[in-house]
Amino acid sequence: MTTTECDNVIDSTQLDMKDILDRILLTAGDIILGKEQVLRLAITCVLARGHLLIEDLPGVGKTTLAHLLARLLGMQYQRIQFTSDLLPADIIGVSIYDRGQEAFHFHPGPIFSQLVLADEINRATPKAQSALLEAMEERQVTVEGETRKLPQPFFVIATQNPSYQIGTFPLPESQLDRFLMRVQIGYPDTASERRLLAGKERREMLESITPCMDMQQLVSIQNMVDEVFVSDALLDYCQALLEFSRTSPRFHHGLSPRAGLALLRNARAWALLEGRDKVLPEDIQSVLTATVGHRLHSTSDTGVNEGDQLAQHLLESVPIP
Amino acid sequence: MRVQDREPLSRSLLSALIILLVAAAVPHFFHLHLWITLFFLASVALRVASMVRPELLPGKLLLFLLAVAGLVNVTLNYPVLFSGETAIALMTSMVGLKLLEINTRRDLFIVVFIGYFLLATQFLFNQDMWMVGYVILLTAALTGVLLENSRHRPSGNPIKTYWKSLALLLQALPVMLVLFVFFPRLSGPIWSLDSPDISGITGLGDSITMGSISGLVLSPAVAFRVEFSGPKPAPPKRYWRGPILWDTDGRNWTRGKPLTNEPLVMKPNSPVIDYFITLEPSGRRWVMVLDLPKAVPEQAKVLGDFQVIRQKPIYDRIRYQASSWLFYNTGKITPEELKRGLQLPGNITQRMRHLVEEWKSVAANDLDVVNQALRHFRNEEFYYTLRPPLLSSNPVDQFMFESRRGFCEHFATSFTLLMRLAGIPSRVVTGYQGGEYNPLGDHLVVRQSDAHAWSEVWLPEAGWVRVDPTAAVAPERIERSFEFDTGLADGLLGAPIRFGNVHLGMVGNMLKQLRWGVDAVNASWHRWVLGYTEERQSRLMHMLGLDFLQGRRLGLAMVVFAAITVLLLGVAIWYKGRNRIDAVYADYLRFCSKLKHRGITRRDTEGPLDYLKRICRQRPDIKHGATQITQLYIKLRYSHSSGKNDQRSFHSMVRRFRP
Repeated sequence: MTTTECDNVIDSTQLDMKDILDRILLTAGDIILGKEQVLRLAITCVLARGHLLIEDLPGVGKTTLAHLLARLLGMQYQRIQFTSDLLPADIIGVSIYDRGQEAFHFHPGPIFSQLVLADEINRATPKAQSALLEAMEERQVTVEGETRKLPQPFFVIATQNPSYQIGTFPLPESQLDRFLMRVQIGYPDTASERRLLAGKERREMLESITPCMDMQQLVSIQNMVDEVFVSDALLDYCQALLEFSRTSPRFHHGLSPRAGLALLRNARAWALLEGRDKVLPEDIQSVLTATVGHRLHSTSDTGVNEGDQLAQHLLESVPIP
Repeated sequence: MRVQDREPLSRSLLSALIILLVAAAVPHFFHLHLWITLFFLASVALRVASMVRPELLPGKLLLFLLAVAGLVNVTLNYPVLFSGETAIALMTSMVGLKLLEINTRRDLFIVVFIGYFLLATQFLFNQDMWMVGYVILLTAALTGVLLENSRHRPSGNPIKTYWKSLALLLQALPVMLVLFVFFPRLSGPIWSLDSPDISGITGLGDSITMGSISGLVLSPAVAFRVEFSGPKPAPPKRYWRGPILWDTDGRNWTRGKPLTNEPLVMKPNSPVIDYFITLEPSGRRWVMVLDLPKAVPEQAKVLGDFQVIRQKPIYDRIRYQASSWLFYNTGKITPEELKRGLQLPGNITQRMRHLVEEWKSVAANDLDVVNQALRHFRNEEFYYTLRPPLLSSNPVDQFMFESRRGFCEHFATSFTLLMRLAGIPSRVVTGYQGGEYNPLGDHLVVRQSDAHAWSEVWLPEAGWVRVDPTAAVAPERIERSFEFDTGLADGLLGAPIRFGNVHLGMVGNMLKQLRWGVDAVNASWHRWVLGYTEERQSRLMHMLGLDFLQGRRLGLAMVVFAAITVLLLGVAIWYKGRNRIDAVYADYLRFCSKLKHRGITRRDTEGPLDYLKRICRQRPDIKHGATQITQLYIKLRYSHSSGKNDQRSFHSMVRRFRP
């Protein structure tokens, strides 16, 4: 396939895809008001085949966002409410003795689903958390010596309360790293809040949503993300960002190569969402905070949102080459 | 400061650094006071010990006290403050202490640079080829430490690192050559302002006391080297004339007042020998020439007794041209010479008078008396030895009639005294005799061991004639030089000297060849490298037609040249770098700078689309052009289709863009 042909392929499906994506954004914008940026990031994450972590205070719409995504993408989904007494078996499933067949029979847990909503993930004990996180990384679970594949595609959208809230078990860095993106929703602006208060119950609205795409379309759009072109000039910028995080004394540790890959991946998906077939520095900048915010720590531990502040510092310090 | 600078130093780097610093300081040990050396070594030992047991590392306060101790140590041993020696002593002490202070990578940089400086100071004392080689090797090693230190992870291959740093140094070679040739030479002994080792040089003095030379003969140090332009004189004719001694009190011989007459040579009836001499620094004013000098170097003059002296003492190695007659006649004697040539000390004994009377009674003329005396030395039981017995208050008498063992100065001074007693004007000449011919370098090496003393007597028909009584006793001394391989030094007291054996065997011959080779290389080094003086530099400038570049002007020209070179290099690097960031980006930057003049400055963290948005918001009138340019820029730089045509049109679009 020559370069020209390749361009054409992208161009022809682009209209179709653009249509779908616009529709998703429009519908989502009706439910979550005034949060277009967050919605775009969340969709970007899905397109980039990554797991999404939504972190914010209770009541700002985390669960609603998770539900919304599941419905819009037309995936079969399960929700797990994480509590402190949740056990790994509650997630993965258990083998139960079947008296009729005189054998153990495996009852798959809620994780055997295309989309898993892990609500308030940091309320559960580390043991239960790790059961989920293992599955996220491997895309398979091993129960009683038998390895079982999880369905394809497989997504986890997890929500969590800020770790300074009471009754939380903060996720360790190595596990946070498994989320391709972390977004924060924040309070709505005044106009949006007024519309929210005046409008219908969100839960009802969610019920009425019809999926905007089927599984086939999702997979093909995901494949198109891989086709988005990344130029040398852009790689220079990407590397400059990584290098800066590794040499600047403000950073406790630099960004890992995995973070670099994640950054590019998200930037590609973002560019596609913007209707481009190439990544621009703006795309990197748009996804940077969401991609690296949960992977960074400052040398002076200030606690709240330090990762996001560092990401901002990175953005403002590294010139585009 | 970078983060890495604060990282602790790796053990292997620290060990390498310590070893190299000690190696850099070692040559100083030979001329530093023992206490300074001990202080340095103690500091190093403490540092090494603390690598095993870190608790031994002194704290700030202790370190301060140690520094004070080092300072006291220096002031006690070097009473003269502001001298080169004191500075070196202080530096060596403090370098040792500095080792106790290094913990991080940054400290290492400092110590490496101190190491470079320490190495450079070696040249204040020794500019030999060996030292240069040593310094280059150590410089490369120190550079290797720097290289290794700037790595994130150790390379684990010190040899490779060392080669790399040698390659780095090699790149500096052209600069070094330019500096060597053109950097203004400073005339005068700037290095030798307080040259400490001149006083330590063994060599001829301007007086002799019987029994004072025996140490000299054992020194193989080179006194001077001679290259003959034409034929070489035969070994027995190689008398190198030094100070002439006139005055004596019977024990000491000194030069006394200089003569007032002009040197005069009658009927020189022999071919002239032309030669170049490279004289090692002696701290004296006199210059060595072959007996008898005809033409002498410009800055020197010939005294009445044919001694050649310079205006200033020789603290640097000098090279000069001279020519001499082998056969000559100095003609008449002046009254002053006659008077001083017949002076007698007060300790003439009856035995001496009798001996001289005996000679005179059988001799027809003065020449016969001289021959009688020589015959006496030859026939009686006189021995040539380097370890003569000590002589008492009347050494001549004792030597002539009792001990009869001595070397050149005993024979020369006794002979001269006896000639004066016989009424023949005579004087003692000191200098060197012989020299070893080096076939590899085609030059003659004259060593301190070739120092010699002989007599000159004035005969009516011949003028001043050289008479060497030593030759009568030990002709081998004149025909051959000493061989240091033959265990000369441990000769017994009064034992007759053994001269070099002609048959050395294969190993001996090889050793000799090797010595000649080393000597030849050394001579070239002295001649071409160390001998490149201000005089030669100005001659070179003259040859290059750059006569106007002398002294200060040459310095100025160097500075201007260096400035221009650096400027050109800078421009070249900038130009190359400009080409490397691709032309598209350069054009885009031009686009940005055009907008900057209109008050829309692009932040360097701002992407092209964001910038475009801002431009459109602030200047809707140029929206069209800016959008076109930005879109083309994005296409050229961020997508994979980059046609030459697009590049060209982008270039012209930017050029035509008028915000």
